[in-house]
Parts: sequence; C-alpha cells; structure tokens
Amino acid sequence: MLRFLLTRCASYADAEDVLQDTLIAAFRYLHSYDPRWRFSTWLYRIAIRNAAKLRGPDLVEVGELRDEENDPLLQCIADSETENLWLNARQLLNDDVFAAMWLRYAEDMSVNDISKTLDRSASWTKVNLMRGRRTLESKLSDVPDQSEVYG
Amino acid sequence: MSPTKVKSMDKLAKRLRDDAARIDVNVSDELDRRIEASLLAVTPEVADERPVTPARPPMFWWASTITGIAAAVAVIAIMNLQAPQQPAADVPLNIVAVVPEIDLKAEAAVLTNPLQEELENLESDLKKAEEKVRREIGL
Repeated sequence: MLRFLLTRCASYADAEDVLQDTLIAAFRYLHSYDPRWRFSTWLYRIAIRNAAKLRGPDLVEVGELRDEENDPLLQCIADSETENLWLNARQLLNDDVFAAMWLRYAEDMSVNDISKTLDRSASWTKVNLMRGRRTLESKLSDVPDQSEVYG
Repeated sequence: MSPTKVKSMDKLAKRLRDDAARIDVNVSDELDRRIEASLLAVTPEVADERPVTPARPPMFWWASTITGIAAAVAVIAIMNLQAPQQPAADVPLNIVAVVPEIDLKAEAAVLTNPLQEELENLESDLKKAEEKVRREIGL
C-alpha cells in the first residue's frame, strides 16, 4: 500500500502519514467493514480518501504538487536498463485511471473490487482499464524493448 | 481480439506487475513504531446496537386478524345491500299466440297427367305453400 501511496502523494512523508491514518481509521471503524468485499478493497478505499483529503479541497492532480527532485516514486525506483512503466503511467493517465490500473495489475483486484474502491461503476472501470492499457501499449510500441533490440 | 493483441496485453500486464514489484519501498522502523503507538492509543468504535423491539404478544395477531375479517365481511355486506336489484327473469312468451294462424287447407290433387308430371306439380305447389307460410310468419 505504501508503494501505491507513493504514486499518489507529493512526498514520502505524506505517503507515510496517509498510511498511518489509513491503518488507524481501519482499526477504529473495523465494525463498519463489510465482509462481502475483500479487506484490501476496503483498506484501499480509505487510503485513497485520505490521500485526496491531504491534497486539499481543490483536488489538483498529484503531478502538479510534485517536483522532479523530490518525487518519492522516482526515489524508490532503482536505476535499471528499462524505464519503469508506472512512471509513464503516472504521466499519461489521470489519477483515477492510474489507480484503477494499479489495483488491477499490481494488486490483482477484480473489476468489481476496483469499482468499489474508486467509487465508480463497473463499466467505467472496464472502459478506463482498456483505455489505460491502450495508452501504455502505444507508449511501449514507441520505445523498442531491450530484448528485441539486442535479440 | 487477435492473438497478437492478447499476447501484447499479457506482456503489458506482466511488465506492469514486474515494474510495481521493482518499486523499492520499506516501512521504516520509525514508521512501524509510530503506527503501533497510534493503534494502541485508539479504541475501536463499537457498532451501534439497535434496541431490539420485543415481539408482540400473540393476542395482537389474533385481534388484527379478527378485525380484518370483520371489516371484509362488512364491506361485502354493504356492497351487496347497495347493489341494484336484478331485473326479473323474462316470462317465456306463448309462441302459439305470436305465430299467426296458418291456413293448412290443401286442395285435393287431381291426377290427370302422368305420375312424374303430377309429382313435379305437387312439389312446386308445396314450395309455393312453404314460401307463403314463411312470408306470413315473417322469416
């Protein structure tokens, strides 16, 4: 979850604060958890709400708050021969689509769980997952894969 | 969706999974302690338990059932009292009085022609008589 929060918060410290608030809120309101849903779905829902609260009422995109040098995600990505696709995703997709993609591919959540987490309809989730994939695919096709280049 | 497309989708999904795992994040000891301390200081809220309404005595059920039946009977009775009276059944008419008297007097046949011709004449007379009767009855 801290990984996910790093993609949504302006700094590492903010992500840690949100994580702490999320765990406290989950513990405090444990009685309101509906076991029909996965526990992680509920937890992510709280986390996303807390992250949005930290950003303020204007709901500006996270990218506008972050500067390149202090980008917590950049700091946590080790230098490697290939570019991390999540960095591209964060630049190309809006916050909600990015979150949907993350929950689908990093957390293996179902479409229903993602819709519940993001408070969106299942059709919105499906459509935007498809759009997100297409956007990243086209980005991938622009940059030749290292294995293809070197055979 | 073409197999190439599916293959590239799978490749993308794998790449996204791998890249997410490559984000190197550790929960520091300090954060761990902070969270632990916060959790210890927090008391989980207990769900509001709604007061359980005591079950109504069976007397209530009987009373409401009897009242309902009585009301239904009263409504049926009122509807029947207010219903307009059915018209009396039609008295069957004396058909003999309605049908005009038919003159059944027939002339005696005089057999002057060959039998076949006589038979045709008689049939023709019979038809004419029948038509006359029909006209008089009004059919």
